[in-house]
Amino acid sequence: MMPIRMSAVRAGALRGAIEFRNSLQKPADLLYYLIGAVSFSAALWYFRDDIVPQLGVSTSAFIFPSAIALMTLFVATYGLATLVSTEREDGTLLRLAILPAGTFTYAWGQTVRTLLELAFTFGLFTILASILVPELWIRGAVGALTAIGFLLLGILACLPLGFIVGSIFSNPRSVGGWGFLVLGGIVWVSGIFVPLAAMPLWAQIIAQILPLYWLGLGLRSALLPEGFASIEIGESWRTIETIGMLSLWAVVGAVLAPLLLQRIARKESFASLATRREKAMQRV
Amino acid sequence: MTGDVVIRTRDLTMSYGNKRVLDGINLEIHRGEVVALLGANGAGKTTSIEILEGLRSPTSGSVEVLGVDPLHASVEHRAKIGVVLQSWRDHARWRVREFLHHFFVLHAPFRPEGGWEVDELLERVGLADKARSRILSLSGGQRRRLDVAVGLIGKPELLFLDEPTVGFDPHARREFHELMHELADVRETTILLTTHDLAEAERLADRILILHAGRIAADGSADALAREVAGTTEVRWRIGQDRFVHATDAATRFVRELLTREPDVEDLEIRRTTLEDTYLTMVAQHSAAAAEEAAR
Repeated sequence: MMPIRMSAVRAGALRGAIEFRNSLQKPADLLYYLIGAVSFSAALWYFRDDIVPQLGVSTSAFIFPSAIALMTLFVATYGLATLVSTEREDGTLLRLAILPAGTFTYAWGQTVRTLLELAFTFGLFTILASILVPELWIRGAVGALTAIGFLLLGILACLPLGFIVGSIFSNPRSVGGWGFLVLGGIVWVSGIFVPLAAMPLWAQIIAQILPLYWLGLGLRSALLPEGFASIEIGESWRTIETIGMLSLWAVVGAVLAPLLLQRIARKESFASLATRREKAMQRV
Repeated sequence: MTGDVVIRTRDLTMSYGNKRVLDGINLEIHRGEVVALLGANGAGKTTSIEILEGLRSPTSGSVEVLGVDPLHASVEHRAKIGVVLQSWRDHARWRVREFLHHFFVLHAPFRPEGGWEVDELLERVGLADKARSRILSLSGGQRRRLDVAVGLIGKPELLFLDEPTVGFDPHARREFHELMHELADVRETTILLTTHDLAEAERLADRILILHAGRIAADGSADALAREVAGTTEVRWRIGQDRFVHATDAATRFVRELLTREPDVEDLEIRRTTLEDTYLTMVAQHSAAAAEEAAR
């Protein structure tokens, strides 16, 4: 089994790299990165003089960790789910699933591609924020390392969720369309635009079940001055709860995602592919 | 080696709800055989191939492919089987060579002696000059040839092809046929293909299976099938203003006698029954027999 694993790991890594390179060579994707970077910069610039009176730090310092959390969910869950359901429809998954270690290669390739996209996005945002927000690194190296730790945990929580959603919903247009609405709702109750403590109770409950709020909270706790905790629920960073909830999502996802993906890969057939092809063609 | 059974099915039956798609298929395919599966849409061609590939579980009956049940096949077993998919738009932005290389890497641990190298295979399917092109820029025929290359990269013992030459121009089609002959003759690859193109089946396959209403309506070489249909050759001629047609099994003898008997024969035409004639006759016979059986 070892050489099979090794070659699948290699093929998957190469696959992820090729997919990411293809994305960087696609005008639509480049435009997406550009729009993301410009709107992020604009938000930072707009709030640069909006100093929080008691703390002496501008609101733009608050935007950076929140935007990173949001991008993690957007890329690793929403983007990945859309891709998985699209590639199930167009036969990419079937083509690999009939090969030795093919489903694993597919999943690992998507993971590598997602990680590369996240690294690229984070790098871009970090450079922009470092230029535009003077107090960004107020917590120094320890803060930055803690943030990286929370970020890795957040990725582990969000990425399997992307595979799960993409496996459950087979129509890429519903994942892209309805998924975007659901994503909007999740972001609204995530404590990013409005502090969660100021939201109604039901919104607080939903937010505290999902991983986005916790990832944002963890990143804020690492990068913002201690006093900022006063606007959070319980006026605390709740570090233990944050690690606990993100780990829970990561563990549940790590168990469920491979099972679901293998199940849909096994269920793929030429006939179902042909049917979906006809349906998709009619829609065009 | 020719005695090896590569595919064996016993009473293979497949139903979707009340609809019976395959109805007691008994089949043996030997190593190195090229078998064409013919039949109208809905005759059960794709279902048969999917069962043999292990993508579907039959309702009843047994299946053995290279000695094992394909549903419970190991990865090593899967590596011995090549599948040519009818691709659509997957991997559209990949470049031709890196796409084929990807599958080469996946097959690497199982690579048998004399397996294809990536560039060698690209050359063989006539895509060497497209190595750096993106797949979305290929024509339909080029894309199918790339699909064939993916099916061959692991040097399979058994190759499944579903409608392999749809969208090929005549030149590409001839090259493809040569490649298939090389695989079967030199490399002893067993090939099972489905096709709508009867001329292609006749040219490629040692053996033709006609599926009709979930059963094997006919099984044999193109010649043998034609012989089963009465009067394999049609002779037409004219004497003065009168035109004549005669169907016969022994055209040469008939024509010799005809010319001795009738010195004024003109416009002599001898037309061998095509596989198409045979196919239509056999399907008609099979339908009639099935209807009779149902009436009884």
